[in-house]
Amino acid sequence: MVIQSKRRRVLPGFGLSMGYTLIYLSFIVLIPIAVLFVKASTISFSEFWEIVTDKRVMDSYKLTFYTSFLAAVVNAIFGTLIAWVLVRYHFYGKRFVDALVDLPFALPTAVAGIALTAIYAPNGWIGQYFEEFGIKIAYTQIGIMIALTFIGFPFVVRSVQPVLQDLDRQYEEAAATLGASSSQIFFKIILPSIIPSVLTGFALAFARALGEYGSVVFIAGNMPMKTEIVPLLIITKLEQYDYSGAAVIAAVMLVISFLLLFLINFWQWRTARKHQVS
Amino acid sequence: MGIKIRNVTKAFGTYTAIQDINLQIQKGDFVALLGPSGSGKTTLLRLIAGLENLDAGKIFFNGIDYTAKTVKERKVGFVFQHYALFKHMTIFENVAFGLKVKPRKIRPTKKEIKEKVMELLKFVQLEHLADRYPAQLSGGQRQRIALARALAVEPEVLLLDEPFGALDAKVRQELRRWLREIHQKLNITTIFVTHDQEEALEMADTVVIMNHGKIEQIGSPEEVYEKPANAFVYSFLGKVNEFKGESLVTNFPHVKGTEEAVGYIRPHEIVLHQQSNENSIPAVVIHINKAGSTVRFELKRLDTDELFEVEMTSDHYKKQGPFHKGEILYAEFKNIVLFDRKTNSIQTEKNVQGEVVSAISSYMS
Repeated sequence: MVIQSKRRRVLPGFGLSMGYTLIYLSFIVLIPIAVLFVKASTISFSEFWEIVTDKRVMDSYKLTFYTSFLAAVVNAIFGTLIAWVLVRYHFYGKRFVDALVDLPFALPTAVAGIALTAIYAPNGWIGQYFEEFGIKIAYTQIGIMIALTFIGFPFVVRSVQPVLQDLDRQYEEAAATLGASSSQIFFKIILPSIIPSVLTGFALAFARALGEYGSVVFIAGNMPMKTEIVPLLIITKLEQYDYSGAAVIAAVMLVISFLLLFLINFWQWRTARKHQVS
Repeated sequence: MGIKIRNVTKAFGTYTAIQDINLQIQKGDFVALLGPSGSGKTTLLRLIAGLENLDAGKIFFNGIDYTAKTVKERKVGFVFQHYALFKHMTIFENVAFGLKVKPRKIRPTKKEIKEKVMELLKFVQLEHLADRYPAQLSGGQRQRIALARALAVEPEVLLLDEPFGALDAKVRQELRRWLREIHQKLNITTIFVTHDQEEALEMADTVVIMNHGKIEQIGSPEEVYEKPANAFVYSFLGKVNEFKGESLVTNFPHVKGTEEAVGYIRPHEIVLHQQSNENSIPAVVIHINKAGSTVRFELKRLDTDELFEVEMTSDHYKKQGPFHKGEILYAEFKNIVLFDRKTNSIQTEKNVQGEVVSAISSYMS
């Protein structure tokens, strides 16, 4: 059987490349994560349950997933819009705007966090205008979402942009000759073609937001049960030398994240497949 | 729907795709826009559809100025070269698209849409494929669906961009016949673009021959083939042998040509003999292709070393007895047609059609 399947392969180098992939994945991803789970399993189940169901921990889980999800949704919508503008319109300084998109990747997240805090604080440039209406941005969940949106937004732009670029104009033209209005063309023709890439970008932005620490800690205010995110809680535990506690929180976080990402990817795979079978 | 195109010009940057074109298309006509690639034929079709904006001139549909109307308002059926079927929709949804996007007020009910779509699918004989996706269909089937989709909105004019360009020879033949039948049944004004002269001559009622963004000749297939307006039309419609300069002037005794002239003759108009006579030119047989109903020869003139092609029916070939490679035969150039080289140069701003060219000297054997 093994020999047969080997013979049928057209591309050479399967053994070497697959071996490299496995070693690479093991050292960089699988072994560190395994160690995390080993560490988490050094305590009894009742202790584990106690740590996980602690109100402060539960609230931080909720906060992290909730804000990350909303930030990713915002990014999915506005990232698609930015990609659209960058692909479809020609304007002066387009290359510059295009380069700006990658900035959140290059900037140390702590710097981004401090800058955002300075602007959105009640006495900051933008924050003062919201303060007049009694809306606080920094040190609230809104602030966390802004920080998470900032660090996640290149993902959607960069995953949608190439797909939009390759989109054949003839489909839009065909729809137009059949009497479709421009909004109908967008929602019925263009959107279905780019939705798999939007989902990819969404999943990446969501995953990035879940693990984000640097930019959030400055703008969040870090009030337990209100604006305390999971990564911060883990750091706090570590600072108290509570290694197994930190490992437990991290392991649970990891499992939930994995399940969510798996779901998103499954959804993305299904929509993509529908297009291709096609 | 009758279409009138008046002094239309379209440029892409510095490249002029369409140059001051005038064309009138009668209601119910079946028109081929024929020309080599880059002749502007597709651009003209897209201008009619409203997919491109024109730089100058006007387009009238049934006498009404449609120049400023959008694609949507023009209500034309357009079939794209690569079909442009929506990949994420089934065949049914593709055909139904034009009906579903109508404003709510005039949109047919779901049941009506379903009936209409199934009727169209039956019309193109593909009703069994309603639930498939475009990628699961063959090229010929996709082309039919593209046509059914265009017909769903009941357009008054049907525009097809190289409709059979991407299909293999057999399917193409079948679809040509089928499209003609559809035109006869529905009698809607149909304009199609092609670079294949055979396709244009076989299918169309009116052939519009284009070159370098201009119309070279308009006429029925017989007219353009029998009475080509100029050298371009003559050489574009079918195979030709070209002779010019020295070899034309000195070696065709019966031709009163000049240095300025260029002579054309179709391969089937050359007669081969095994004995020489006063008007024949000796040539050696380089290649013989006997497949099919016509026999094709490639010969080389002994005097000027020029290559030329000759065709004859296989019956005729049988009567004349077999020729062999390397044999010397005597070719008689009946009906060689001369064109003045100047009037056909692209640079001239004069109307080429008006100035028909040098004398056509014919010689009877």
